Amino acid sequence: MAKKRLMTAKRYSRLEGMLFMAPWLLGFMIFMAFPLVFSLYMSFNNVKVLPTGMKYDWAGIQYYKSILMGSAEFYDQLIPYFQEVVIMIPVIVIFSLLIAIFLNQRLKGRFLFRAIFFLPVIFSTGAVLQQFMDQGESGLGFMNGELVGGFMDAYIGGTPWGKPVLAVLENFVLVLWYSGVQILVFLAGRQTIPATAYESARIDGASPWEVFWKITLPAMSPFILLNVMYTVVDMFTFPSNPIITMIGTGNYGYSSALAWIYFVIVLVFLVCVLLIYSRVNRQQRM
Amino acid sequence: MSVVKIIVPKAKKNKFAFRHSLRSVRYFILGKEVDKGLIFKLLLYLILVSTSYIYLNPIIQMAVRMLMNAKDLIDPTVTWIPSSLYFGHLSSAWNILQYPKSLAISIAIALSASVLHCISCGLAGYALARLQVPFKKVAFFLLLLSFIIPPQVIVLPTILFFREIGLDGSLFTLILPAVFGFGVKGALFVFIFRQFFMTQPKELEEAAKIDGATAIKFYVKVMLPLAKPAILVVFLFSFVWTWNDTYMPRMFLASAEDVPLATQMSRMGTSLDAFIDSGGFPEYVAEPIKMAASFLTILPPLLIYLFAQRYFVESVERTGLVE
Repeated sequence: MAKKRLMTAKRYSRLEGMLFMAPWLLGFMIFMAFPLVFSLYMSFNNVKVLPTGMKYDWAGIQYYKSILMGSAEFYDQLIPYFQEVVIMIPVIVIFSLLIAIFLNQRLKGRFLFRAIFFLPVIFSTGAVLQQFMDQGESGLGFMNGELVGGFMDAYIGGTPWGKPVLAVLENFVLVLWYSGVQILVFLAGRQTIPATAYESARIDGASPWEVFWKITLPAMSPFILLNVMYTVVDMFTFPSNPIITMIGTGNYGYSSALAWIYFVIVLVFLVCVLLIYSRVNRQQRM
Repeated sequence: MSVVKIIVPKAKKNKFAFRHSLRSVRYFILGKEVDKGLIFKLLLYLILVSTSYIYLNPIIQMAVRMLMNAKDLIDPTVTWIPSSLYFGHLSSAWNILQYPKSLAISIAIALSASVLHCISCGLAGYALARLQVPFKKVAFFLLLLSFIIPPQVIVLPTILFFREIGLDGSLFTLILPAVFGFGVKGALFVFIFRQFFMTQPKELEEAAKIDGATAIKFYVKVMLPLAKPAILVVFLFSFVWTWNDTYMPRMFLASAEDVPLATQMSRMGTSLDAFIDSGGFPEYVAEPIKMAASFLTILPPLLIYLFAQRYFVESVERTGLVE
């Protein structure tokens, strides 16, 4: 008897859980699962929009073939952007970690600085950034000077990684602007390190340098992973990135195939980041 | 800090005293910890001030240029301080953006999306953090998946879906996903709520269980009032990101007349070109008008942010945004 009531109580609480999850699960079905499967289907079809409805002609892997092997356009767009992202990720993460640590100090005017560094959270999406880019305000002033700019052009402009490095430097302010959320995450993460850890390190006579490498950095490592992942996702889903502008509404089959190829590449990239992270982390632990 | 007295033999005292004063000088300059010491403080201010300048430069430029009159704009000696304030560009931008209408649309959409996000993502986040959900691991995996899937993969079928249910080109297409916890970065909001609810003490639910409260009642009466920081963070993020989003409107409202402010702004280029071609404006005013439009577009979220910034930062620290 008692056992039976326990069972129903358990079932009841599961029912409550389902009830809470229901809206989200329904949304997942409508706005994720269905579109995902459907776009996979469309990517194998020649889709025609007719006045009476949609018409699907099976096309097989024709679109995948033409994107991956038909022309170099896809690679021409993807590879430079990819290189830029690879450079931008460490810059963004290290920059936001430093700023978060600085903002955590007891400083006069800390609130003012915080307000400034969180501004990107407000702006860093959409048309306004594009506007900044068009204004030509996204670069550091000295980069455009004859001396530095000419030097950079002459020495690294020709190498395969030179162009993306220059592109990142040209839009360096934008790179900093991308790091609003990351700074927030690091600030929140820094709060999780107990003050006692720093006190005991101080009593043991650790230097600031040692404290940073032995306490702050290891404790921040999950946040670093989180920020790297967030940055990767953010960069790769940013609406003005060149691949995404290629995914239009013109040819549904072609665009869907393109989107899927892109998704798989992003996924592989994320898995690589995870593998590297776990590798580095394991080495540190030992 | 307590001072530890060290008893030293007399002969060695001198040496120690010298070393001690050396150390205090070093501490004064370099600091005992990272956050103390003169040089470090100066360096810190230097870095913060200069990066703040880099950050603010585009905004200041934008604000200055949009207030310059035609003469200042073509005068290369005028870079920072306009000779007189000119509000013509602002009023042109106001007209081209159809500001009152677009503003109302943007406010309505961003506000309803953020309120709905707080409701739906809060429920899902709470279930994932505290309730027994069958296949919870699977649900969590699906959440991760919906975070990393680029919206571009699923946008075309979603357009077809909206067309099918007769919402094509309607502003509701921007709100409907938020009802179910999707829309602009919905998965992230579920994460934020989940993280917040995980940090709350377990005893709360036990007390409620003894009192015989249902989960819904408990959630509304106890958890939601506690979750103010998380709600504020999600609300602000959702509001701002929905406000700034131009991708979804471009896809869903391709040919619609009524669009939010940010979309109106990104469409402005073409209408400006038309004005210039028809001889309405000289060409060099296009840029200041665009800047005035950017300014008008970000002004409302900026005002909200200036007001909410303090609470916002405190809330982020208290949400335990991440593990």
